[in-house]
Amino acid sequence: MKRDALVTAVTEIILKHVPEEREDSSLESMVADLVRFIEPLTADSSAEPTGRRLVITAIGRDQVGIIHAFSGILAERNVDILDVNQTILRGNFAMMMIVDPAASNVSFQELKEAMKSRAEELGVKVYVQYEDLMRAVSRI
Amino acid sequence: MSYTKKEILETIRMTELEHFDVRTVTMGINLLDCGHEDPVEVGRRVSEKLTRLASKLPSTVEEIAERIGIRVANKRLAITPVALISTRPTPDAYVTIARAVDRAAEEMGFDFVGGYSALVHAGMTKADEALISSIPETLSSTERLCSSVNAGSSRTGLNMDAILKVVHAIKETAYRTRDRGSIGCAKFVVFANAVEDNPFMAGAFHGTGLEECVVHVGVSGPGVVCQAIKRAGTCDLRELSSVVKSTSFKLMRVGELVGRDVAEKLDVPFGVVDLSLAPTPELGDSVGEVLEAMGLQRTGACGTTAALALLTDAMKKGGVMGASQVGGLSGAFIPVSEDANMITAVREGALSLEKMEAMTSVCSVGLDMVAVPGDTPESTLAGFIADELAIGVINHKTTAVRVIPAYGAGVGDTVSFGGLLGEAPVMELKNLSCEKFVGRGGRIPPPITSLKN
Repeated sequence: MKRDALVTAVTEIILKHVPEEREDSSLESMVADLVRFIEPLTADSSAEPTGRRLVITAIGRDQVGIIHAFSGILAERNVDILDVNQTILRGNFAMMMIVDPAASNVSFQELKEAMKSRAEELGVKVYVQYEDLMRAVSRI
Repeated sequence: MSYTKKEILETIRMTELEHFDVRTVTMGINLLDCGHEDPVEVGRRVSEKLTRLASKLPSTVEEIAERIGIRVANKRLAITPVALISTRPTPDAYVTIARAVDRAAEEMGFDFVGGYSALVHAGMTKADEALISSIPETLSSTERLCSSVNAGSSRTGLNMDAILKVVHAIKETAYRTRDRGSIGCAKFVVFANAVEDNPFMAGAFHGTGLEECVVHVGVSGPGVVCQAIKRAGTCDLRELSSVVKSTSFKLMRVGELVGRDVAEKLDVPFGVVDLSLAPTPELGDSVGEVLEAMGLQRTGACGTTAALALLTDAMKKGGVMGASQVGGLSGAFIPVSEDANMITAVREGALSLEKMEAMTSVCSVGLDMVAVPGDTPESTLAGFIADELAIGVINHKTTAVRVIPAYGAGVGDTVSFGGLLGEAPVMELKNLSCEKFVGRGGRIPPPITSLKN
């Protein structure tokens, strides 16, 4: 929560409970103390980045069952598929998926490894990455 | 909110087919607090500080690169110009410090450390002189140190005395590393108007106006720009400039992303993103090829300087929108040995040093990785360097020279350095003396345009 919003919220709560005859300066220091106490508790701790989606791109020889193969791996690992698209790119098949790994039971590395092994079996190339790069390049 | 097929495939194409990578993530570290009378103690303090601040950089960068799907080609360090670190001002003191830095960098997995440097654009202190004298020893006995000297500025003019000392050091370095193509000289740059936040080697150093520790990113991508130009077909020059601008914007955005994430993870300030079109010897990664895609038969043809002017300026304009802080050199590099196309141009006789000098007036840096005959007199080298620095001083831009007087080689020979440094055809310098001119010594005064107050 942004600091300004926190200060406003705390001030409102205090004013709700405290009689209006109180001096302003003590109100200020009350708010200051409370904000100082609360702020560190609401600080984001960024270990695993949350709320970021993955972009999975597979390119290779067109064959039956590519989307099925990859979506199977994702389903096993509880990765939610948000969007799927495919196209033919100069005779090659290109599959693009946007997925949400938030509820997944495996790490990014494990998921990437699993996708890569499957890709090797199928003779296609697969790229598994967070959406950051696409977002950086395509969105202001 | 999703991405279109086009957007996703475009990004993959850039990174997989067009050789786009983040060229370097460079950590700049202040070492002014490591001073001590005894250089061995300085070495110990420097080692400790570098290790404390930088040891996590390589693995952190790798981790982030892996997650977002971009290659980071190099992780490097930039340190305070060593001549400024307080110690006994003798050459061997600085060599001692260099060795400590080299060892620390090796242990942590960094391939280059920039900053074995002196800032002498107005005059030289005892420390500066000692450091410059020690350059041949350091560059021939360490692997990772890169060195630079700032010998001119628009504010103070051109320090010919410093240039004379520098050329002596260059020739000595060439001699000492003669068994490896005089490679020592490939790790040394002499500047005018050097910048404090350049993340690229060999000229990187951590300027004294900066904070304790900072992370800069260097992005390149001549392959991406080249392909974008080819796709644009026969458009007019304004449209061409626009194509370069929008491509440069995208490249810069990636640099911003990586730099921000790395800095955040390491809890260190994020410095600048330097978008410099810097070639590598790999096929499809050439600045010369970009110029040819723009419509020149060969780099060095008439129109080359104009084309480079368009290119460098468009890179800057697009880049400025893409990053929160643009810095370093940001523009186009034209290092001969690192660009397959430029090497061809030189061999065919299309590109001469004179033409390159003209090109440096509109591109980012200067005469980079040029090999000249090993028997070139010091005075001629001094004149060569003075010419390039004068362009920078008068025009208020950064210029630099990284010249390799290849010991035992003459015009027509090729000197091979290997790896990123590539190989260079030895180029011709006019056999005319400027000894009486440079031998006068002293300083060329700054241009009147520097009186801006």
